[in-house]
Amino acid sequence: MNPLTVRQLDTATGPVLYVAGDLDFDRAPVLRSRLDQVPLSPGQCLVLDLSGLAFCDSSGITALLAARQHALVAGADMALAAVPANLLRVLTLVGLDQVFTLRPDSSAAS
Amino acid sequence: MCRTGGIPEPAGAGGEATTDAAFSALLEDSPEDLYESAPCGYLSTMMDGTIAKINDTLLDWLGLHREDVAGRKRFADLLTIGGKLYHETHFAPLLRMQGELRGIALDMRRRSGGPLPVLVSAVIKHGSEGEPLLIRITVFDASDRRAYEKELLHRRQEAERARAEADEARRQAEADRARLADALAVLQRSLVPDSLPAVPGLETAVHYHTASPDQLGGDFYDLFPVAGDRWAFFLGDVCGKGPEAASLTSLTRYTLRAAAHHDPDPASALSTLNAVLHERYTGDGNPRYCTCIFGIVEPGGEHGRTVVRLASGGHPPALVLRTDGRAEYLPTPGGLLIGVVPGAPIGTAETVLAPGDTLVLYTDGLTEARIGSGRDELYGEDALHAFATEHAPAAPREVITALTGLLEGFGDGLDDDTALLALGVPAAPSPMSPATSHTS
Repeated sequence: MNPLTVRQLDTATGPVLYVAGDLDFDRAPVLRSRLDQVPLSPGQCLVLDLSGLAFCDSSGITALLAARQHALVAGADMALAAVPANLLRVLTLVGLDQVFTLRPDSSAAS
Repeated sequence: MCRTGGIPEPAGAGGEATTDAAFSALLEDSPEDLYESAPCGYLSTMMDGTIAKINDTLLDWLGLHREDVAGRKRFADLLTIGGKLYHETHFAPLLRMQGELRGIALDMRRRSGGPLPVLVSAVIKHGSEGEPLLIRITVFDASDRRAYEKELLHRRQEAERARAEADEARRQAEADRARLADALAVLQRSLVPDSLPAVPGLETAVHYHTASPDQLGGDFYDLFPVAGDRWAFFLGDVCGKGPEAASLTSLTRYTLRAAAHHDPDPASALSTLNAVLHERYTGDGNPRYCTCIFGIVEPGGEHGRTVVRLASGGHPPALVLRTDGRAEYLPTPGGLLIGVVPGAPIGTAETVLAPGDTLVLYTDGLTEARIGSGRDELYGEDALHAFATEHAPAAPREVITALTGLLEGFGDGLDDDTALLALGVPAAPSPMSPATSHTS
């Protein structure tokens, strides 16, 4: 089991959160409460960089959807960057690849 | 009394003088004074109990004057009522029989204050002919000891009461747990039916595996009649676990049932569910969703051919085991997780079941089971397809039995709830009503 770490980098287009470790039932609330503290302005884009993500279950996916909701409420966009293959497979299976904006890496945000 | 040579002399002249003074004082201690001022009570009585002699110590304890006692009272007169009774029934008869008694607990009467708890020893003095002459009695103040015993008794009673209370609390906790388990079982039955109804012209079988026995499952299924001779069925998986997941399951199940009665079109039913879940959960920043596959089946077509129409929102594809030994997935592309976005796209598929064909719905507990020595590989859709091909053709009950065996083989690699539902057209239609099986 890996702990979950969330590191924030503010860029010209909006905040980038580097989410690393396990995003599961026990740790998803960490990301969700962290997201609540990320200020977003209309027109910005919130990017979650998942290159360091080791594991993600349905609670993790719920947290990603909550991040998207958080951005939409603020009038901002939201994108997932560097989605690991396993998670991409699950997202595709449930159709969420149509819902999330997917980017190969977070540097594309700047 | 006299000094004996065996006592070592203290060193120094001064010490010798002090010791000598002490011995002199002891020598002045007359036997009379020893008797009267002894640290215990003494008394001697005639054989009928009349007090002949009593020492100052005991008179002082009881607050009595010698002239009121000697020759006037009996030993029993000095006792409390309870003590008197005990004296008559036990003390006196035993003493006469044994000639002596030791350490008998009695209560004596004091002129002022409460009773004096004492320990009494007594011996009969006999004459030269062996005839009993008088009774000698010593009395020890046992107040402290009795208080100590009372305290011990009190503590023991307290400990017993505390243990009884703990036992009662444990019984209560067990009763509460049993009641909660009963309530959970009732709730669980509201999420998934105990048994499936018998469907004319169809055979059905189901299996439900809960990963944790004390958690309400997050998987659900149902089968029920709708307008005409059609039947609706669905199977799905809600996000999360525990009571929150259960309330979502409940909302999902009853929304789908109502929607199917209103418009028995699979995609419409799921669209309604999507609208309901999105409206209910998105506003509070706590998205809840499910994957679901929903079908309408109309058994009893010409030559046993049965049309099945399916719709899916983010759910793994249904599997069909054909009567000719093939197995195939029924992809429902484009369908999205239910409840995430308004107007979510729903994927659809349609197939015809010939006699001997079996349709299988499952949740991803099956395909996402962890296999391999390191439990780091997923069982996956390809392996499931191969397994189905190996078993085709198979009737619903056979398929469910085989898949249940497969699930058991996963051991602790199966860490999610798993629901399985199979519908099939009997290979050789019999005039008897088709059986419905339910395994759990």
